[in-house]
Amino acid sequence: MRDLIFLAYIAGLMLLAFKRPFLFTLIYAYLDIVSPQRLSYFLLNSIPLSLIVFGLAFSSFFLIEDKKNVRFAPRIAMIALLIVYCGATTIGAEEAVAATEKWSWVWKALLFAAFLPLTLHTRLRIEALALTMVICASTLIVTGGIKTLAGGGGYGVLVILINNNSGLFEGSTISCVAIAIIPLIMWFMQHGTIIKPDWKVKFYGIALIGACLLIPVGTQARTGIICIAILAMLLLRYARYRFLYLGAAALFGLAAIPFLPSSFTQRADTIKNYKTDESASTRIQVWSWTWDYVKEHPTGGGFEIYRQNRIRYKIPITNPEEIAMDGRTSKDIVDQGRAFHSSYFEMLGEQGFPGLLLWLLINLGGIWRMEIVQRIYRKRNRDDEKWVSPLATALQNGQIIYMIGSLFVGIAFQPFIFMLVGLQIGLDTYLKRRREEAAFSTLAARAGITAS
Amino acid sequence: MHAVTAMGGNAMIDNLSILLSHALLAYVFWILVNRDDLDSEAPPAPDPKPQGFAKKRPLGKMDKNPSDTPNA
Repeated sequence: MRDLIFLAYIAGLMLLAFKRPFLFTLIYAYLDIVSPQRLSYFLLNSIPLSLIVFGLAFSSFFLIEDKKNVRFAPRIAMIALLIVYCGATTIGAEEAVAATEKWSWVWKALLFAAFLPLTLHTRLRIEALALTMVICASTLIVTGGIKTLAGGGGYGVLVILINNNSGLFEGSTISCVAIAIIPLIMWFMQHGTIIKPDWKVKFYGIALIGACLLIPVGTQARTGIICIAILAMLLLRYARYRFLYLGAAALFGLAAIPFLPSSFTQRADTIKNYKTDESASTRIQVWSWTWDYVKEHPTGGGFEIYRQNRIRYKIPITNPEEIAMDGRTSKDIVDQGRAFHSSYFEMLGEQGFPGLLLWLLINLGGIWRMEIVQRIYRKRNRDDEKWVSPLATALQNGQIIYMIGSLFVGIAFQPFIFMLVGLQIGLDTYLKRRREEAAFSTLAARAGITAS
Repeated sequence: MHAVTAMGGNAMIDNLSILLSHALLAYVFWILVNRDDLDSEAPPAPDPKPQGFAKKRPLGKMDKNPSDTPNA
């Protein structure tokens, strides 16, 4: 039954898209984020839906779309270069089978990110993509938020739609993404034009932000806690009444503590007690292994190279009973094939220094460009451009939250984040063209005066 | 297989969340189909003061006072 409903729903969206082909791009984003194929039993799994929709989005753009407003950006070239580079490292990957499997979805995520900015040449398209991303992510976030409220959370326990630890369905990943989209939700509550920001939008926006904040509580992902702290600091930058904001944030934080499950506060405590925490200590050992590995293989070992790590280290024993029993104050931990647990080390180990550099240029480039954009538009201060600077700030904040959250999670190629990158590039190229058009209109108007 | 797990005790919450987001997305698509500015939009209003490359442009004939031109 669920299969048939999903199928009918997607067919309905596609019918609309045949009228306005840009919607195929949005449908692909929907399929990628929500993964209805995973939510169904068999029917959707047997149809290569993503491939069909991507083909339709691509062909409609190249065959039908008017290209006069399409602009290119250096970061599109960088993403294209990263695709080629990752393809090359996959050919020579040491973990050939696993690497090929990862490559099978990475290239699609990167290609879509490079394709997106070409299609985003109106304000409405930019807004439509951002809204689609938020709504699609909300499919996972709302259910996670309600289950957490109902007391169904716990590390590795909270099931968000499906019991699957991949993509956005993984606890740390959805925690990072949920917090990263909060600035975008706030933007829609003030500047959206698709659904006008009335009291209903504001009410739903606040409820959704609440659900986003509950995701790290429900998943008990420490990354999410760090992301919330970063978000609080970033929002301070443009807060009108900073002391009031600080006071309210502190009050909210303190008031929330009694409502947090004790398992959550215990897990949060391990952030500062990382030396005795096996999971955190393992990360440090894996990062050390990765650094040694790339010193010998500076171009990286290809996807999934972490499978080759063998680590051995000591952690202090803190339990007094355990110490009293065998007299030791530390114990040996032996482990192997542990994942990177950091996007930076994931890039370094898998793609080496060139890959890490490209990835940093793409991501940090987004933070830098959004800073430039927001400064330009604060200075321009035109009434019809009031939406620009807050959107650039929201996208920048989302990117910063991701860059810090991904210090501790291996989500370097997370498709949702690459969509965010595509959105930033699209906004940037769109605004550059509009500025040029406005400046040209000024010149033309002045020329008109002299000619008349 | 995964869907079977998902349909467990929390199925109602899952279905509510799926229904809510999918209804919203369909509503957004419906609005987008009916908006003309999805595919093309009107050119921006001229800058009140020259910006960007227009600002850098040296004073040429077209920037002179209209009274200096033969047609004025």
